[in-house]
Amino acid sequence: MNCLEFRRQIGAEPSASGAGIEAHRAECPVCARYQDELRAMDALIGRALAVDAARIRKPDTAIAPTEITARRPRWLALAASIVIGISVGLALWLSAPRPSLAREVIGHVAHEPDAMSGTAPITQATLAGVLDPEGTRLRPGLGDVTFAMRCVFEGHVVPHLVVRTARGPVTVLLLRHRSVSERVQVSEQGYTGIVLPAPRGSIAIVGRDLKDLDGIAQQVFEAVDWGN
Amino acid sequence: MNGDERGTDRRRRFATLCETLRPDLLRFAFWLGRDRQLAEDVVQEALLRAWKSFDALTEAGKAKSWLLTIVRREFARSFERKRLEVTDLDALVAAEADVLAAEDDAGLTEMREALFRLDDEYREPLVLQVMMGYSTKEIADQMGLQQGAVLTRLFRARARLRQELGITVEPSS
Repeated sequence: MNCLEFRRQIGAEPSASGAGIEAHRAECPVCARYQDELRAMDALIGRALAVDAARIRKPDTAIAPTEITARRPRWLALAASIVIGISVGLALWLSAPRPSLAREVIGHVAHEPDAMSGTAPITQATLAGVLDPEGTRLRPGLGDVTFAMRCVFEGHVVPHLVVRTARGPVTVLLLRHRSVSERVQVSEQGYTGIVLPAPRGSIAIVGRDLKDLDGIAQQVFEAVDWGN
Repeated sequence: MNGDERGTDRRRRFATLCETLRPDLLRFAFWLGRDRQLAEDVVQEALLRAWKSFDALTEAGKAKSWLLTIVRREFARSFERKRLEVTDLDALVAAEADVLAAEDDAGLTEMREALFRLDDEYREPLVLQVMMGYSTKEIADQMGLQQGAVLTRLFRARARLRQELGITVEPSS
């Protein structure tokens, strides 16, 4: 790979890597610096593109299939916008900034309240059907798994479990696609969620009215075998 | 499963999809149109269309790109329906400041202004790559372009940004 080829490729994909790229980096410090500059610029582009979707979105217009059969009259939308604007402003004023991942986890759990209500353990085969594609396993002793499903979360299919631990039921999402650098916690809609860095991505544990969610989260974390 | 149960299941699956993907769709639509109201309208319409053709989505793993395609088409339709107002690009960053999530600093503001000024044909693949994490192949599929054309656009997008920000286009020696 010569300098021109390197710059063409890196100019379009600064994060690109591979034997050819690494070899050229090693022999051409100018091109290596060029790639470093572009990577730094991409980090800035990423920060500049960050959009808080919650501030675009009007909470009460969240699409529900039963509600999208007809358009609302324009004046109604306008009136609703004013009310929503005031509500959103008030909500923003009242609420401190919260980690969006934990919020989206709670949003997902709150959307499926029935998942928490089951008490009968599911079969090992069902659990395996949900965890096997991930190469993940749940070590015995944590408690009965009463719900297991592969759900779409942030565009990825992730295992969604409900485990009835000795200290209460919790929802567990295994988020291989999403890395976090530190523990994140948020309480919302009556739920408390904790997201922990995991060997593969992260793990979210959500509970309701539980006294020691931290302890339960740690117990769940230790019970997950992430495989290779 | 009877008809009612199938309908309930369909609604439930679609609602889950909306709940999880709507933030990304709004972000994408915002950077397509650089206008939060337009983004909200486009995503609303796109989800309406998605609901009508939900049965066409056979693989859950492809839901995001399927919905992004619908958003792109709906965005194009919004241009057909009405002539959009001429936008004062210099005022855009200030007008949309509270939507832009990262904390402000001079370099960031400059970059946002440059991104707002970037031509649509360059901004869109860059958004898909940097914000959505798409590969150039996925961007090509999404935009209906050859992969080579996507690479060219991404190269030019960064070159223009460097130019706008006063960074030499050629690598520094």
